[in-house]
Amino acid sequence: MEQSSDVGITALPPVLDLTAAGPLAADLLGRRGAPLMIDGSGVQRLGAQCLQVLMAAKATWAADGNYFSVEAPSDALTETLAALGAADLVFQSTEENPA
Amino acid sequence: MDPMDAIRQTFFQECEEQLAELESGLLAMQGGARDSETVNAVFRAVHSVKGGAGAFGLDDLVRFAHVFETTLEAVRSDQLVADAHVLKVMLRAADVLADLVRASRDGQVLDESHASASATELASLGGPAAGPAIADDADPLASLMFQPMMVEAAPEPDRWIVRFRPRAEMYAKANDAVMLLRELARLGPTSVSLDASDLPDLATLEPEGAYLAWTVQLQTDQPESSIQEVFEFVDCDCDVDIKPADAVMAEEPAAEVDPNADVMALIRSLQAEVAPEPEPAAIPEPILVAVPIPMAAPIAAAAPPPPQVREEAVAPKPTIRVDLDRVDRLIDLVGELVINGAMLTQRVGEAGISRASAVTVALDELEHLTREIQDSVMAIRAQPVKSVFARMPRLAREVAAMTGKQVRLTSEGEATEVDKTVIEHLADPLTHMIRNAIDHGLESPDVRRAAGKPEEGTVKLQALHRSGRIVIEVSDDGAGINRAKVRESAIAKGLVAPDAVLSDEETDNLIFLPGFSTADKVSDISGRGVGMDVVRRSIQALGGRINIASRPGKGSTFTLSLPLTLAVLDGMVVTVAEQTLIVPLTAIIETLQPRAADIHEMGDAARVIAIRGTYLPLIGVGAALGWADPERSVTGGVALLIEGEDGSRAVLLVDAIQGQRQVVIKSLEANYRRVPGVAAATILGDGRVALILDVDAIVSDARGDAPFAETRAELGLAYA
Repeated sequence: MEQSSDVGITALPPVLDLTAAGPLAADLLGRRGAPLMIDGSGVQRLGAQCLQVLMAAKATWAADGNYFSVEAPSDALTETLAALGAADLVFQSTEENPA
Repeated sequence: MDPMDAIRQTFFQECEEQLAELESGLLAMQGGARDSETVNAVFRAVHSVKGGAGAFGLDDLVRFAHVFETTLEAVRSDQLVADAHVLKVMLRAADVLADLVRASRDGQVLDESHASASATELASLGGPAAGPAIADDADPLASLMFQPMMVEAAPEPDRWIVRFRPRAEMYAKANDAVMLLRELARLGPTSVSLDASDLPDLATLEPEGAYLAWTVQLQTDQPESSIQEVFEFVDCDCDVDIKPADAVMAEEPAAEVDPNADVMALIRSLQAEVAPEPEPAAIPEPILVAVPIPMAAPIAAAAPPPPQVREEAVAPKPTIRVDLDRVDRLIDLVGELVINGAMLTQRVGEAGISRASAVTVALDELEHLTREIQDSVMAIRAQPVKSVFARMPRLAREVAAMTGKQVRLTSEGEATEVDKTVIEHLADPLTHMIRNAIDHGLESPDVRRAAGKPEEGTVKLQALHRSGRIVIEVSDDGAGINRAKVRESAIAKGLVAPDAVLSDEETDNLIFLPGFSTADKVSDISGRGVGMDVVRRSIQALGGRINIASRPGKGSTFTLSLPLTLAVLDGMVVTVAEQTLIVPLTAIIETLQPRAADIHEMGDAARVIAIRGTYLPLIGVGAALGWADPERSVTGGVALLIEGEDGSRAVLLVDAIQGQRQVVIKSLEANYRRVPGVAAATILGDGRVALILDVDAIVSDARGDAPFAETRAELGLAYA
């Protein structure tokens, strides 16, 4: 897999509340089939429904055999993920590349 | 409306209710109530505001509410004594909280120093947890996630396993699992594990669906009800199961529990087992906890009693929120039903069916039922005036602080119920009247002392039902209206002629004239360009009236009289100049046949009638409305002895009485415009429109009272 050249990069919007879940899922689905790096540095708020989308995406990318990561999480994102018991969504390094 | 906006609106409505609870609770504590129920109610109010604010990301509000809540928690756990000083600070904090809520609602930015000063004040009260919460200003909730609160004084904490599975509806209402988890973490140290076993592939995932479930191990010294409170907002939209940890472990075969073993060690081992990889098997079939409060009792009985069990609140009666439009639609329909029933009765009468026939009896029953339905529907709209009265103590505090006066505001009859529309329109006039009573009515402490009065002035707010209306009185024990100054000011403004002879009552009523304001009394508080004329107009718009009674040196009383409902009325149907009119039954004392010998002319047009030794003004309704010649003979008609709002009596002369019936009020103002002398209109059984007489206006007009002097001209226009 030509990870280095074809890797998609996208940034998460600051507010990931219930209204953001639909657009986020649509955006991610459009990127399916290629490795994806998601920038989480701008996130100020994360709701459980966007978490669902991200977790489903992670599982889907893993099933497709593609690289998927949420990186550089903002403090708010890290804290919210911890509160939700989903701290393992964020990878800091490529070693956990499931591909 | 955008669904989010609607949810937001509901949240702010609930906030207002919570703020009212908070204030009345604090005032009750100030009045000596120290029972745990009051303290808990106060705590719950702040807690609920905080919870909702968290869901909407209103960080300023959450932060302040948190500090407030922490102080209240200290009171609740007996670590801080709620003495007079503490309560004063808390009342101020309640005001700040209310400001923050309103600023958030209106999208305003509040001066930060306002809140931070109050927060510092709260923190300075002590209470073990207040300090750290303020020191960490970034995110007080996050900072508390793994900090047990008030460890020193707390008894041995209980461990709970809380499982919850939100449904899509919960998210749709802008409640989030994040909020619930944070609230749980606030109760004590938590360990959260996430069950994503139901999560589908991204392609099949419904972005706004609900697939996740959480298991939280919670260690807290709070009672189970506190845990249930966390889920209060999400109620039926989330499957919740709260169990003591030891009970859960007893259920689970994986954990072979020696009942005497260290439970904490077991928790830790269970945690180690569950935490890294969420174990779907650990999630049982969701158990629905529909209404947390009624559940409290059986669960508390089954579970080992948590330490510090306090008397829980008597479960509040379940309520639902209904869109007001739906209620109004129902009221309209019932109104139509009443009119239809009247028409049917009339048709039956016209068909010559005997009054004793089964049809007529059944019709009577129908009418009875319709009336009951109507009463019940009206009761839906009725609300206690408490919601308005509750805003006044704060106002009194603020005005007192600004004017340097000492005020005690007492209120009575808060449970008096009145239609919601009336309630909504009461707030502004009442606010203005209370301001006036303190700013203009009460004297400064030294003046009061010199006059031999207590330094603290009293303003009394009272609501009561009187002959089918609600009467609200605002009275003060101040100096009373300074009639000389009022007269002087009115003359200076050209409102009255310098040589006018005015009675005390007429002088007092000058303050209701547009543009009236006594010059040296314009201040920050009362002089906001809103005069008593605006108060009078807004009360009149509701079909109400306002009166003043003032005694120099003793104080003044403003009396508002308002209709209880704006929808139905029992009336006497009368004929006046070949027109059908309705006279409200509440005003009529008796009817009589006037004899020529009892009627005496007084001056130009006025006549009085002698009734059992007293003389009362005799008013020809037809003449007063401009429909009939005032000179026409008065005998041959029917006289109605009526009593006005102010207790004054008069006799109205009409041509004939047709009968008595309940009528549905149709606003003339909404459909046409205000017509002096006419309160509203209605539709009769035969489909004709009849006007409902405004008895007080007719009587005042006939007396030539100053406030109604303009009515004749308007009347001429209306019926020209």
